[in-house]
Amino acid sequence: MQTQGHDLVSTLDERTSNIRATIENVLVLPLSRHPSPRSVLIIGCGIVGAATAFFLARRGVDVTIIEREGPASAATGAADGAVSVASKRPGPMMVAALSGVALYRELLGDGTLTDLFKPRSTFVVAASDAECAVLEAHAGALRGEGVAVEMLAHETLIARFPALSSNVRMGAEVKGDGHAIGYRIVNRLLSLSGVTVLRGVEAYHLVEAADGRIVAVATSRGELSADAVVIAAGNGAPTLLNCDGVMKPRKGQLLVTERAPALNASMPGSIMSGRYLLSKGSQKGAEVSARGYGLVVDPLVTGQFLIGGTREDSDARQTNDLEAVRHILTDAVAMVPGLADIRLLRAFAGVRTAVIDGLPLVGRLPGRNNLFVAAGFEGDGICLGPVMGQAIAAMACGETPSLDLSSFDPARFTSLEVAA
Amino acid sequence: MADTRVIIIGAGPAGLAAAAELARAGQDCVLIDQRATPGGAIHRQPAHPSRTIPMSRVARLRFESLMKGIATPRVQFRGLSHFLGVDGDGFALIEDRTNGRVEKLAAKAIILATGAVEKIRPVQGWELPGVSTAGGMQVMLKETGIAPQGRILLAGNGPLLVALAAQLIRAGNPPLALVEAANPMTKPLTALGLLRHPALLGEAAGFTFDVLRSGLPWMRGASLVRIEQAGSALAAVIRQADGQETRIEVDRIALHDGIRENRIGLPQTNLQDAPIIVHAGDCRQTLGAPAAVCDGARAGRQVAALLGAKACDVAKLERQLARQVAAQKRLARIFSPVAALPALKDLPDETVICRCEGSTVGSLKALLSVKDGLSGREVKHNGRFAMGNCQGRFCAANTAALMAQLRPDMPEASEADLTGRRWPIRPVSIAALLSAAPAEQTNDHEVRL
Repeated sequence: MQTQGHDLVSTLDERTSNIRATIENVLVLPLSRHPSPRSVLIIGCGIVGAATAFFLARRGVDVTIIEREGPASAATGAADGAVSVASKRPGPMMVAALSGVALYRELLGDGTLTDLFKPRSTFVVAASDAECAVLEAHAGALRGEGVAVEMLAHETLIARFPALSSNVRMGAEVKGDGHAIGYRIVNRLLSLSGVTVLRGVEAYHLVEAADGRIVAVATSRGELSADAVVIAAGNGAPTLLNCDGVMKPRKGQLLVTERAPALNASMPGSIMSGRYLLSKGSQKGAEVSARGYGLVVDPLVTGQFLIGGTREDSDARQTNDLEAVRHILTDAVAMVPGLADIRLLRAFAGVRTAVIDGLPLVGRLPGRNNLFVAAGFEGDGICLGPVMGQAIAAMACGETPSLDLSSFDPARFTSLEVAA
Repeated sequence: MADTRVIIIGAGPAGLAAAAELARAGQDCVLIDQRATPGGAIHRQPAHPSRTIPMSRVARLRFESLMKGIATPRVQFRGLSHFLGVDGDGFALIEDRTNGRVEKLAAKAIILATGAVEKIRPVQGWELPGVSTAGGMQVMLKETGIAPQGRILLAGNGPLLVALAAQLIRAGNPPLALVEAANPMTKPLTALGLLRHPALLGEAAGFTFDVLRSGLPWMRGASLVRIEQAGSALAAVIRQADGQETRIEVDRIALHDGIRENRIGLPQTNLQDAPIIVHAGDCRQTLGAPAAVCDGARAGRQVAALLGAKACDVAKLERQLARQVAAQKRLARIFSPVAALPALKDLPDETVICRCEGSTVGSLKALLSVKDGLSGREVKHNGRFAMGNCQGRFCAANTAALMAQLRPDMPEASEADLTGRRWPIRPVSIAALLSAAPAEQTNDHEVRL
């Protein structure tokens, strides 16, 4: 059973894809290296797995997702939700982020993400000479990539952003960004595509045939077979790929306040401290604090504020400690003094999956025609999840994705091997 | 100091008894309570000493004895302080409202004695202003010594409603009616069994006598169907025992459907790198104040023994607890509803489940209409159940129950799936979080356990 919404958006896609599948089966199959699979098993139901499922289902592929806990139960469910190019350096991640943001706008336009994507600017602000210098250089780099950036001097910035502390020196308004809540995107994509999610099912290892094709996944519910398999398992990916050392968990702590409509309304976009660029390592040669403190204050549509965060390599527990929370809030109040007058409602932590070279793993596993991976997006999963899901869906169906994935090719790590 | 500390959360009967027992065993402890004075909900002290409401002799003696037990330098009472939870480093976080600070305390053990919370069966209109819980109204009465003004209706199920009705009568504003799903008067033999529990029987008989003597309509076997706004007042639609519906206009409605353990958001007991965590009193099992005294003492001895004190015999306490379990079972039989109340899933779709976010029975049904069964966490996130300022205090249990009724084939979601177990357990002022106590050392990681 598919939902009505899905029928509306995808009938045409399904039809064309069914016709294509028929043609391939009858005529092209012997010649095609990668025929469109009839069934795909996706391991992991974060935003990447859910988006891959959504785009595969649109093509008429029979999709099953297996998920150790529940949809959006790991990093996706504890993300800051930035759909943003503001912190990217020129390069493949910038290109991917631009495509990611563009796809969100497209999915908002066609009704897929109605109410779930909030277009808004990101204001990167600088409070010291060092931060001003970093910010100006960064703004120039963004402009070079075609991003609309407006530099705002102190007075203009304060006028646009009355909630800001008068200590801020200057700001850069990065236009075209937005905000999306990861778990809500997942829920929408799943309900529109009507795919089956097997909750509480753990993937143990992949099962290969004599010719090296993956034929099934051994799970806590027995062997589940499919024509192709996508590993979108975040921190669960390393065990399936036998690749210790390529990926590592990176914890982030985030805070949500109670509703404060007046303060919220006085913020036309999210605020990112110039120091976030440093902590994120976007600027080469910058010093990074041990806990990777950065500061983002995002006014949510509910009237609440989302405040983050940390990038911690030493701790993979989903816990919050007073020390980190105090550090984040001290920075937040220094930037937006009005936050001191409201209450903290929730603190949470998520554990991102970081690849050692800073780029995600997206693509076909070397030597495996029907095994794909999409993992290691670190803090960019919400921004990149949909566009990477779309790309993997295309790849799995034998097409060349419109987004160039060569920099993310898993083949760059020779140690990757299927844990069979 | 820090390495021997035991923290007790809640200075009701269980917390007080635990503190006294620890002190007796030579153990220092800090007793934390959100109110200015010890006592808990049952022995809530008036804000102004001249405005006390009458207390039964049994209750007065119990409270005096508990207070005597903590009159020792080993017990440090800290009032107006809220427990926020245990952080990732294993510290107990306390918001001290006397100085507007959040402090982190290292502890060897934490005894959670957070008492009970009321169960509330939602009906249409229960979110309207003027509707409160009976327990909330009772606490207000105890603190102010003054009955709430206006016409009052009490509705629901359980002995607390009778107690509150009697206290309102004594305070000079008898409720307009008491709507009770059970009919305790039809169970005289069961009630007679309470003779084995004279203290309980004495209190219950006193309340019942006052209610009967006052002549207030005690609608037994009846239930509240819905609440409507009637101008500036409220209209309660009640289904009487004979099936007829009646409408009563009032200014305030107090709801109550029994009590349950208050464990909302509390940390798990098996946390890594965290202090030993023990539950005591109603927060472990809702058995009422006399049992909470025994159970608090039991928990105090247990923790003292874990920390190296000579183990004390708890057999006598266990026997006393068993007697209280029997008494509570009997009370539950006396107050078992005459007719089954409508299941949550049969309530009209507009019925609000989460008052903070306005999520309804219908919105949960829509959310669960997908073919996959959503987990508690997904329901929380996508339906905004248990996400408001009360952090699930009032809706998490009902949401979990409604989920189970709507999807009987799916694994049951627990209340904790919806509330989570993260600190802060309650919303906390950001200014307070940032205001570090001067004594707090930056290197306290070294001195903690």
